[in-house]
Amino acid sequence: MLNRILAIIRREYLERVRTKAFWISTLLVPFFLGAVMILPAYLAARGGGEFSVAVVDLSGRFFDPIRDEIDRLLAGDDEKLSVTLVRQDPGPDPVATRERLKNEVQNKRFDGVLVIPATMPDEGQPEYVAPNVAAFKLLNVLERSVNSVMVADRLTGAGLDPDQVRELTHRVGLKTLKLGKGGEETRDQGQSFMLAYIFVMIIYMTVLMYGIYVMRGVLEEKSSHVVEVIISTVKPFELMLGKILGIGAVGLTQFLIWSVLMAAVSAPGMVSAMGMGDIGLPTIPVQLLVFFVVYFVLGFLLYGTLYAGVGAAFDTEQEAQNFQGLVTMLLIVPMVLMIQIINQPDGTLAVVLSLFPFFTPMLMFLRLTLVPVPAWQVAASVVLMVAAILACTWIVAKIYRVGILMHGSKPKLKDLVRWVREA
Amino acid sequence: MDAILDIQHLSKRYGDHVAVDDLSFSVPRGSVFGLLGPNGAGKTTTIRMVMRIIASDSGTVLLDGEPVDDDRRRIIGYLPEERGLYKKMKVLEHLVFLGTIRGLRPGEAKKRASAWLDRFDLNEWATHKVEDLSKGMQQKLQFIGTILHRPQLLILDEPFSGLDPINTRQLKDLMLEMRDEGVTIVLSTHVLPQVDEMCSEICLINRARPILAGSLEKIRADFGGNTWRVRSNLEEADLRALPGVVSVHPLRDELLVELDDGGEPQELLRALVDRSQVESFTRFIPDLENIFIRAVEEDRDHVE
Repeated sequence: MLNRILAIIRREYLERVRTKAFWISTLLVPFFLGAVMILPAYLAARGGGEFSVAVVDLSGRFFDPIRDEIDRLLAGDDEKLSVTLVRQDPGPDPVATRERLKNEVQNKRFDGVLVIPATMPDEGQPEYVAPNVAAFKLLNVLERSVNSVMVADRLTGAGLDPDQVRELTHRVGLKTLKLGKGGEETRDQGQSFMLAYIFVMIIYMTVLMYGIYVMRGVLEEKSSHVVEVIISTVKPFELMLGKILGIGAVGLTQFLIWSVLMAAVSAPGMVSAMGMGDIGLPTIPVQLLVFFVVYFVLGFLLYGTLYAGVGAAFDTEQEAQNFQGLVTMLLIVPMVLMIQIINQPDGTLAVVLSLFPFFTPMLMFLRLTLVPVPAWQVAASVVLMVAAILACTWIVAKIYRVGILMHGSKPKLKDLVRWVREA
Repeated sequence: MDAILDIQHLSKRYGDHVAVDDLSFSVPRGSVFGLLGPNGAGKTTTIRMVMRIIASDSGTVLLDGEPVDDDRRRIIGYLPEERGLYKKMKVLEHLVFLGTIRGLRPGEAKKRASAWLDRFDLNEWATHKVEDLSKGMQQKLQFIGTILHRPQLLILDEPFSGLDPINTRQLKDLMLEMRDEGVTIVLSTHVLPQVDEMCSEICLINRARPILAGSLEKIRADFGGNTWRVRSNLEEADLRALPGVVSVHPLRDELLVELDDGGEPQELLRALVDRSQVESFTRFIPDLENIFIRAVEEDRDHVE
């Protein structure tokens, strides 16, 4: 029996691993993921660089304070950002001057134009015109310095001492630290959220994708009639099991390749070679990878079985659509609930939802990335999932047995129930 | 009789529809057995129950004298009516896969598959995908897959459907060769001329029930009755006037002369020789098609 199941697993595995589609998706996904993961980190650090900003100060008295403020802000900064302000004469027609400077920005003489209205600080709003308004480190520095200069000016106007004002309005930044299980603290600026989100997305997408592969595989065997040849020697259950395991192995292979690629990319030499020396790539704890594989495998077995049942019950993908949608809905619900869980990963709702077997692969994994989850909850989630897998396999095997030989009329839910009862 | 397959009181119904009704027959070892009947008579359902692809409601299937089970059914090579192969698989790999799930070691399966591909001139296609092959070639491939594990019993459901005359001939020759090696063959079909010359035993099913079963030779004799094929220069009307003659029908360039049950063919021949120039005088042996149509019609009359 084992030899036969192995032959089926092997067939399913090789048929898929040998396709171009498999290799394209295997190589493209990490590329996109890398872009998604690295880009924000890269952008956040990308504040570095030299910027030259033309300033049209219509009030005539804010240029120096702003320049001083910027210098002061950047003095403690280690990210190699330098901003040079170039004072511009507003001339008789400030609007024309603004237009002229816009042209110079286009010609790359300046990176942007800062216009401070004469009515400041009581009324109006300073403007910054630039082709790239996404250089947010620069924008941040500009905004902060303009803002504090204006506030200081107002306070001074109210009769307060400028130095004292500066002292009193000193800005306090919030330092975010992630508390780990062992009580250790790590600097976290949203990477852990990004990571959690990406990993849960991968589980969701792969379970969905490989689940649908199972369904298509079953439909194909049905429509090509090859299934009758196979089940005249192999039990329908063995065929179903072999197919699910074979396709699951394809998924694991894909993860293995991704891990190797990821390890290669995050090797220290590699990162600096790519010119991203200190962008602070999030590191992935090994423990998390283990959970990732465990929950993918459990999730795939559960959903793969359900999709196999859907495939066996119908003749074509069109006919299967409604039931396929129902199964897929089960997968989507936890994705919608993600935000709730992220906000309160230890709340009762989060615990209960993450123990519901159909949501566990996504939600329990999500919680594991966010907070230390009690061991009993992890164990319970695995036990519940295994129970759910066994129960689904028991039911689906009956539907499968009857369904794979059925052609013609599209079965309704009550037919499926009858198959289960009679088989 | 040494029966390799013995079917006893097999029944299957789907809701109100009776697919197979109390069907019994046995297939003698080494015979070519025709499981015949019009479309929808229940042939495929019967075979699927033998193969344990569907469960019977009642009745037993004995294989080599013992109830068939999941392991024992592997001595059967089964070619379903609806052919099917994995289109994206390579030809040789597909055969090896089919051999492996029937219990062969991959190495052995590969050796045998290559030999068969050679014999059918398909060797150059070994590394092509199944979908690249013509329909006829795919049928051959399917047949090789069916016999790769050297089954003792071959069950072929409409084996010639979709084959051109050359491929039909090739397949028939192979089947006869296998029969000579001792393989029992069950042919399920409604196309009779193709199997007339091959079958030694038949079971004719009509509307879920068997209406005729046994040795084809005996059935032919029964159906032929006391009928003789005559070729002479005597007119139809003159023949009809001879003593003991019940009816005379032309059959191509001969006349079919039916005598009454006690009628002596010797006397008829003597009378013929006296009156005419006799070229030939032989017993009329009905072909399968005649038997089939008459039996099905009689069955219908019987029910009405």
